[in-house]
Amino acid sequence: MTTTAVDSVAQSQAARDAVEEFPVVYDVPDDAALTDQILSPIWTRSRAWWPLFIVSGLLAVLFIYAMGVTFVRGIGSWGNNVPVAWAWGITDFVWWIGIGHAGTFISAFLILLNQRWRASINRFAESMTLFALVNASLFPILHLGRPWFFYWLIPYPATMGVWPNFKSSLPWDVAAVSTYFTVSLLFWYLGLVPDLAAARDRAPGITRRRIYGIFALGWRGSSQEWRHYRVAYTLLAGLATPLVISVHSIVSLDFAITQLPGWHSTIFPPYFVVGAIYSGLAMVLMLILPARRIFHLKDIITEAHLSNLAKLMLVTGSMLAYSYLCEAFVSWYSGDPFEYYTSFVARPLGPYAIIFWLMLCANILTPQLFWWKRMRTNTVVLFGASLLVFAGMWCERFIIIVGSLNRDFLPSSWHFYAPSWVDISLLAGSMGLFCFLFLAFLRWVPMVALSEVKRLHLDMRKERQPVKVRAADGAAS
Amino acid sequence: MTLIQPSRKRKPRARRVLGEFPSVESLLAGIDALKNGGYDTLETFTPFDIPELDARLGLRRSRIGWLVFTCGLIGMVLAFGIQWWANVHNYPLNSGGRPVFAIPSFIFPTFEGLVLAASFGAFFGVLAWLRLPRLWAPIDEVEGFTSASIDRFWIAVGAVDADDSGERAQQILRDSGAIQTIAPADV
Amino acid sequence: MTAIFPSWATRAARIALACGVTALVMTPLLAMIWVRTPLARGEKLSITQPVPFDHRVHVNGLQIDCRYCHAGAERSAWAGLPATSKCVSCHTQAWISSSVFEPVRQSLATGKPIPWRRVNELPDFVYFNHSIHVNKGVGCETCHGRIDQMSQVHQAASLTMGWCVSCHVNPGPNLRPLTAITTMGWTPTKSDLDQMKTLTADFKIKRLTNCSTCHR
Repeated sequence: MTTTAVDSVAQSQAARDAVEEFPVVYDVPDDAALTDQILSPIWTRSRAWWPLFIVSGLLAVLFIYAMGVTFVRGIGSWGNNVPVAWAWGITDFVWWIGIGHAGTFISAFLILLNQRWRASINRFAESMTLFALVNASLFPILHLGRPWFFYWLIPYPATMGVWPNFKSSLPWDVAAVSTYFTVSLLFWYLGLVPDLAAARDRAPGITRRRIYGIFALGWRGSSQEWRHYRVAYTLLAGLATPLVISVHSIVSLDFAITQLPGWHSTIFPPYFVVGAIYSGLAMVLMLILPARRIFHLKDIITEAHLSNLAKLMLVTGSMLAYSYLCEAFVSWYSGDPFEYYTSFVARPLGPYAIIFWLMLCANILTPQLFWWKRMRTNTVVLFGASLLVFAGMWCERFIIIVGSLNRDFLPSSWHFYAPSWVDISLLAGSMGLFCFLFLAFLRWVPMVALSEVKRLHLDMRKERQPVKVRAADGAAS
Repeated sequence: MTLIQPSRKRKPRARRVLGEFPSVESLLAGIDALKNGGYDTLETFTPFDIPELDARLGLRRSRIGWLVFTCGLIGMVLAFGIQWWANVHNYPLNSGGRPVFAIPSFIFPTFEGLVLAASFGAFFGVLAWLRLPRLWAPIDEVEGFTSASIDRFWIAVGAVDADDSGERAQQILRDSGAIQTIAPADV
Repeated sequence: MTAIFPSWATRAARIALACGVTALVMTPLLAMIWVRTPLARGEKLSITQPVPFDHRVHVNGLQIDCRYCHAGAERSAWAGLPATSKCVSCHTQAWISSSVFEPVRQSLATGKPIPWRRVNELPDFVYFNHSIHVNKGVGCETCHGRIDQMSQVHQAASLTMGWCVSCHVNPGPNLRPLTAITTMGWTPTKSDLDQMKTLTADFKIKRLTNCSTCHR
């Protein structure tokens, strides 16, 4: 809807180009049918849903169990040691919060850039952000040592008479992550309101109508409502855009303001932000590829979306490659033996060399596939590449954190790090929790921004009549 | 947020005639026809945002931006103030010999405070501005009105006099393509 | 009727929302108020000792100096409790045969100390040195209250970190001349007041708010 706020600009070349290659929406029958199609997973029980929900739920239980062990036995139950005081916990934190970045990128950046194709996938991306942030915010809290005192990080008038140290990057982290989660939630919910109203008005049975009615807050789509809503939503997007850049910049400062070789680098903030969006785009693709197949969304999430996301991955992946290069160059150029050692000996040849090379291959080579149009629309390639990048970005964070810490300045301090079963359960469990929440979202929340897609559909109809009729089978599945 | 319930205990509003349109084009045609017919107080109900309506309905750009701006400003000042109070005034914290009043370090939470407060302003501001939540409104009693959130476009024609049968407004609506019209009602 | 909600639903929703917001605000607020009450800090806790030792009798009646029993008060990190032999040095006759002295007799017979219960307990992560406080002009009364009026000793100060810090940021006003360290109900005389102005400097006390002052 907000894309249309600047409707006169809607004809811009950028928007047109996005349309040229593939249509961003195929000719869906009409708005009523579209609404029913998007909402049908809410009303009709899918057979595959329950088993998936239960499996991911069990993994989430494992997560809770591992958290319980961490609570009771403390950080000692993790594989962390000295000097590797930060390890999987922080790796998972940075990884999850990075994944979260693509949601806001797609919904906020692309609004401001007037990329209307985002309408079909922004709800997926925003939900993904929200659930990734739930996981991301748990890991630093677990790492506190005494996690039940997490509220000490908030500047409130405590009986202790002291306050958080705002010259440390860790309270910045708290401010950034909590703000990011809150703003993402508000943005997500505000975008949902008109669709919840549609669900209210389409729900079978008075009970479900009332439940959605309560969450829709009494939205009726009046001209007055849209007039204010449009501005508020765009403003939220405008606020979220610098926010998303600030969040991962601040996360990167957790490392960059220390004096450890491999951390102490000025490239870190942009390097982290780009990597974050990159991993998040991979996650978005991994979620929409099955979703568009299972829920028959190929008319709404078309090859244009896949291709655009793949292009964005190519761009961010190349920027990431530049960042790697820049980091390596600076550590060589610095002439500092410790910097040099970390970049050119410890990482590529050290105990975690396999992970280092896996990271390089997965993150730099994989997206090069997307120079070819056929690769950008081949769902198998897309899924495989996303999975590689998804894993590669975890490896990157592991290399940055453990790879830098385990070779301390003095060889006598060197210590190998291996995860404990609690570390592994926390990572697996957090993925389970993510899937659990995402499946719940698919089941109970309108999964596509209906009102925006209806508008997009109208615009496309107006711009090119008749709408390109979907090519018979031929194209990518 | 006001707790006053809309419409019930207030003086009865002028009754309104409703028309249901199948498309945006017919909706726009209907608005034009109604305005030509002398009906000026119009409200539409649509499943998605149609910014083109604003000019036709005489709606100005929302001023909610000022609220968001003010909230952001307050959040910024508050966040900076908290940091100054905590680390400079109330408990000057010597952290590695850095200056106590370290403005560059305070920028990050200040920015986050700005964004957080401004976002609260935008979200809760728009809800309060629109008097939401409003689970019940008189218009909900109209048969078939729920299509307004799905695929139909409704116009409510205001300022229908008490003695007016609303027939003329309904005729205009029908002429411009309305598939259903509702006689004057207190909605 | 086609509306899914009755007409009172709007008001009900708003009231529910207002209640929710109030609960959200009040819960932490009430918790913050609660931790500031003496009850939450254990100041009202009644701690029954194995022997009903009455400080009033010993401090007021017998005029025994604090340091006679708490001998480590100005020499060690812990003020310390008297050995049983110290009790018995006076109590050779008085009370020694009474039933309340059973733990004392037990202690004498077995050589195991009397299991006194701690009243002013600090967490293990706090490094607290009793002697430095006493030697730099912090009176017994300042932290322990009017011991001379307690039949059963209870915690007199809140012992929160904020309470420690409130003095550490500016110790001056809480200091007294060393001659008045053990005085109960000390009211400074004119000459004391003059002296107090220079106490901080005399004791060479600086602002003591480094983390490592107490957390080592």
